[in-house]
Amino acid sequence: MAVHVAAHGADEVDHLYAETADLRLTGFVLFLISDVVLFSSFIFAYLYLRHSVPQWPWPPGTAPLDTAFAAVNSVVLFGSGATMHFALENWKHGNRSKWFGWLIATIILGSMFLGGQAYEYSHIQATWGGSIFGASFFTLTGMHGFHVFCGVIYLIILGLQTSQNVYTRQKYFGLVAGTLYWHFVDVIWVALFFLFYLL
Amino acid sequence: MSTHSQPQVHLSAGFWRTTAVLTILNLLALWWEWTHPLSAFLPEAARPADEIDGLFLFMTLVGTAIFIYVVGYLVYFAIAFRARRDDPENAIGLQLHDATALEIWWTVIPTILVIILGVWSTMTWARLQSQPGGAFTMEAIGHQWNFEFRYPGLNKTIWNEMHVPIDKPITMHVSSADVLHSFWVPEGRLKVDMVPGLINTIRFTPTRIGTYRIICAEYCGFSHGKMIASYVVQSQADFDKWYNEQKNGAPQNSGGPGAGAAAAALPPSTGGDAAAGKALFDTKCVACHTTGAFDDRKVGPGLGNVLHDAAHPDLVTGKPATPGNVADILKNGAQGSIGVMPNEQMNGLNDKDIANLVAYLSSLGSK
Amino acid sequence: MSISLAQHHHPQGIDGHIHQAPTSFVRKYVFSIDHKIIGIQYFVTTGIFMAIAGLLAEVIRTQLLSPNAQFVSPDTFNEAFSVHGSAMVWLVIIPMLTGAFGNFVMPLQIGARDVAFPWLNMASFWMFPPAGLLLFGSFVIGAPQAGWTEYPPISGPQYGPPGTTMWCMAIFLVGVSSTLTGINFLVTMYKMRAPGMTFTRMPLFVWAQMATAILSMIATTALAGALLALFLERVFGIPFYDPARGGSPILWQHMFWFYSHPAVYIMILPAFGIISEIFPTFARKPIFGYKAIAFSSMAIALLSFMVWAHHMFTSGLSPSIEVAFMLLTMVIAVPTGIKIFSWVMTLFGGKIHFTTAMLFAIGFIITFLCGGLTGIYLAAVPVDLHLHGTYFIVAHLHYVLFGGSVMGIFAGLYYWWPKMTGRMMNETLGKWHFALLFTAFNLTFMPMHFLGIMGMPRRVSFYVNDPWFIFWNELASIASYAMAGSFLIFLYNALSSLKSGALAGPNPWGARTLEWQIPSPPHYYNFKNIPAVYSAPYEFDKPLPYGNLQDELDDSKVPPQLLHGHGEHAHAGAH
Repeated sequence: MAVHVAAHGADEVDHLYAETADLRLTGFVLFLISDVVLFSSFIFAYLYLRHSVPQWPWPPGTAPLDTAFAAVNSVVLFGSGATMHFALENWKHGNRSKWFGWLIATIILGSMFLGGQAYEYSHIQATWGGSIFGASFFTLTGMHGFHVFCGVIYLIILGLQTSQNVYTRQKYFGLVAGTLYWHFVDVIWVALFFLFYLL
Repeated sequence: MSTHSQPQVHLSAGFWRTTAVLTILNLLALWWEWTHPLSAFLPEAARPADEIDGLFLFMTLVGTAIFIYVVGYLVYFAIAFRARRDDPENAIGLQLHDATALEIWWTVIPTILVIILGVWSTMTWARLQSQPGGAFTMEAIGHQWNFEFRYPGLNKTIWNEMHVPIDKPITMHVSSADVLHSFWVPEGRLKVDMVPGLINTIRFTPTRIGTYRIICAEYCGFSHGKMIASYVVQSQADFDKWYNEQKNGAPQNSGGPGAGAAAAALPPSTGGDAAAGKALFDTKCVACHTTGAFDDRKVGPGLGNVLHDAAHPDLVTGKPATPGNVADILKNGAQGSIGVMPNEQMNGLNDKDIANLVAYLSSLGSK
Repeated sequence: MSISLAQHHHPQGIDGHIHQAPTSFVRKYVFSIDHKIIGIQYFVTTGIFMAIAGLLAEVIRTQLLSPNAQFVSPDTFNEAFSVHGSAMVWLVIIPMLTGAFGNFVMPLQIGARDVAFPWLNMASFWMFPPAGLLLFGSFVIGAPQAGWTEYPPISGPQYGPPGTTMWCMAIFLVGVSSTLTGINFLVTMYKMRAPGMTFTRMPLFVWAQMATAILSMIATTALAGALLALFLERVFGIPFYDPARGGSPILWQHMFWFYSHPAVYIMILPAFGIISEIFPTFARKPIFGYKAIAFSSMAIALLSFMVWAHHMFTSGLSPSIEVAFMLLTMVIAVPTGIKIFSWVMTLFGGKIHFTTAMLFAIGFIITFLCGGLTGIYLAAVPVDLHLHGTYFIVAHLHYVLFGGSVMGIFAGLYYWWPKMTGRMMNETLGKWHFALLFTAFNLTFMPMHFLGIMGMPRRVSFYVNDPWFIFWNELASIASYAMAGSFLIFLYNALSSLKSGALAGPNPWGARTLEWQIPSPPHYYNFKNIPAVYSAPYEFDKPLPYGNLQDELDDSKVPPQLLHGHGEHAHAGAH
């Protein structure tokens, strides 16, 4: 029943935005859950195939993975999760320049992780199609890497959008979604690192 | 939490009459099912088929009872509580939301039935797992589109005929040479998938002399529908005779591929009618053969030159390409390079048909 | 597109926010974000796909009229049953029950103006015709031939026809559409119910859609994984299923059935919901056991994730694993039975009106019960050993999917047709449709139980030349032609209703859920004022449990939100 006002006070609540942001957060979380299921089905495939042969890597004689390198690369990725957290916190407190700083750090660390994956891929003896070892490793880490790549692109877009003042201190669902997605990518990596390098 | 004032449930005389009718129907159905178990239609030719049939009967008795009562009451209520023509426009029914006692019964009784079924099935399954299999161990390997059998001490492949001695516990390892197949003996209630790269094991004891079907029950390609073999249960003496014949190099009985002509008289290869042969070819053979050159394959080779091909002087049986040997293949089948050439029974041919087909093939000009 | 969010301000929430109606034909009927139009788009598209898949079924039945027929080659026959099954599952039943019925009815029943993400809804729909083109287009290069289950190795790179890759892509696309719809619906039902509509005041159709949306959302990506792996193996030679390189055909079966068992519940739960709406309306009394039905839907959804390997009992799984799956499968019988008994008790003491919708709903109980009972046979491993891979399975699946889902679909179509179109169907034609379909359906599929028991495997274009087998196959085939004919009755009824059917008015059935309290068809904004809800809708001896509905049927009233020139603002992106 309210008449639209052209100017409004900064603390007047935009109910439509608040409600749709709530819907979108719920929807986005459900989307992430369905993405977890996608990874889970390939993780099941990996564990099933691994269990069906007497030793791993397979076939016998395949060089094992470089756990030390992957551990360092993992620290880089987890570090980017921390920087993303700080970025969002600073946005919420209105510190634009600190937001940008931490966001750029996240983008750099994320890209370094991707570079590390590329380096590791080029130095692994096994090939994607050579055996179930390559099939499971490259498909799962490749899917994850693709998710990281999309995440880096999205963070760059968020950076551009915030530089053009799209979001406000009250309305910033896109930033929440980006942060949530970035943490999701971290959590998946925890599982993959454990399953491929530690198990 | 809105409180519902529970209306009174009154079960009318019609309800009790219906219950009586349904109960009588049930008893009749149960009697018929008890006196006509599965084995009356499909003989049991292996242990533990009898166990499986017992479980099958239990499920049939309970399932029929549930179906008759539920559908019976559904139809009775639909008729008894139909809106009558002289009912007011806004007439409503009994505003009944639940009936706790009834709902408890219809939860508890199915649960008990499920428990009984679960326990009985588990016990049957345990008995299936602990079937003895000590008399001998054999192998069955699925191919597109025939069954290969291997016996201990027999250094040859037996195609599409599985001979077993009665009352001897047998272990069978199954696998596949190409795609998924499934080894199914309906009269034995036996089924196990033939998986490439995996060996599955089944143990059973043949219990009834006769020849029964082995059917492939997992889609395996073009001729899945024709992948059929024989399960031949014999007395120990007959089985030993067969086994020794195989050991001494005798050809398999007719009905299998690669069977020689020694067991039966040579099939007719002269005096046939080429036009009738063409009609047969166009219905029965075109699924797998063309009348083009040898390399014009569908499944089997092109047969346009089968009797005059310098590049292929011998048939797939290794014998020279003469009308008699072609008739031999039509009668007895053959193991091809891809799949099996069916014999006369599988193709539905009699001797006259074979002669006609040979005449037709002879009439195809050399190109 | 970078207008600042600061420049938008909407003090009203979602309920108070109504856009101007779209004006161009394309925005109204082609790229619409209105859930009702999208629902109708799903109906039309799935209807077309059903006709094609049904014709493929008649190819199958015509070949099987005689044991050694040459009506089609084995290759064509295999393509026919593979595309028939794949299309019916993924292009007809799932999208019709979720995308069509779910879209049109569910937001109305919860008192919402639309779903949570209308643009995503439109995108989900528009993935669907291309998926259909991909699947049916596979005939051009050689359609898949290994059934709707496409087990490797025969579906793999060495043996599978080229169209199998198109099949992977088509089903993957449908899966994305289905997952997004599931997410969309779940958020809608969770967050956008009208004030006062607690979970236990929701109509049972909404409960059913909620259980289904959870399944769609979680299970479908598992199928995406299986399809992606098969695609990678076929196209790039990556070994998942090839035994020669360490892969396993059994792995495909696990990954496929982990989705496809929940999928069969996606295909039946909405139909259960439809029956739960129709029975109270035409018996003029509450649904019996509302809470039992609601919670059993959730129990069935949860259990459906735990039983997948009952499709694999002959494949050589370890015996103790098979026992576990057997027992869990049998457990599902209990909540399902509770529903059936509750529906039957809903008729007790009623004032029953035998509309076509009600006849289909009653028919559903009979045929679905039969299908459910044959499922018990299959749950017991020792008996399944005899029945797996035979025509008994074909009979079972058609009793639950046709005798269940499709009967439920027709019941729902006859029920909500007046609401969707504003017109009535012809009841006499509808009853003939029901009578012919019900009879022909049973004559087609009942014999298949016996054919399977006596030794006819499935997916065969030839069978044994024996009079008994020939008789029952002939009967099934001829009855199937009668079934096809019954569809024509429905089509004629639908088209003449659209052309000149009697005007329906808002509530021709005297039903009590919210969609019947607004015009037929509804305005694009659904409700002038979002209603308040005071109780569950099934009490026929009380007034309607809603508030705020007084203006809904008054043509002189316009929604207050539309009075304030809302459309004058330029809106970018955000909503």
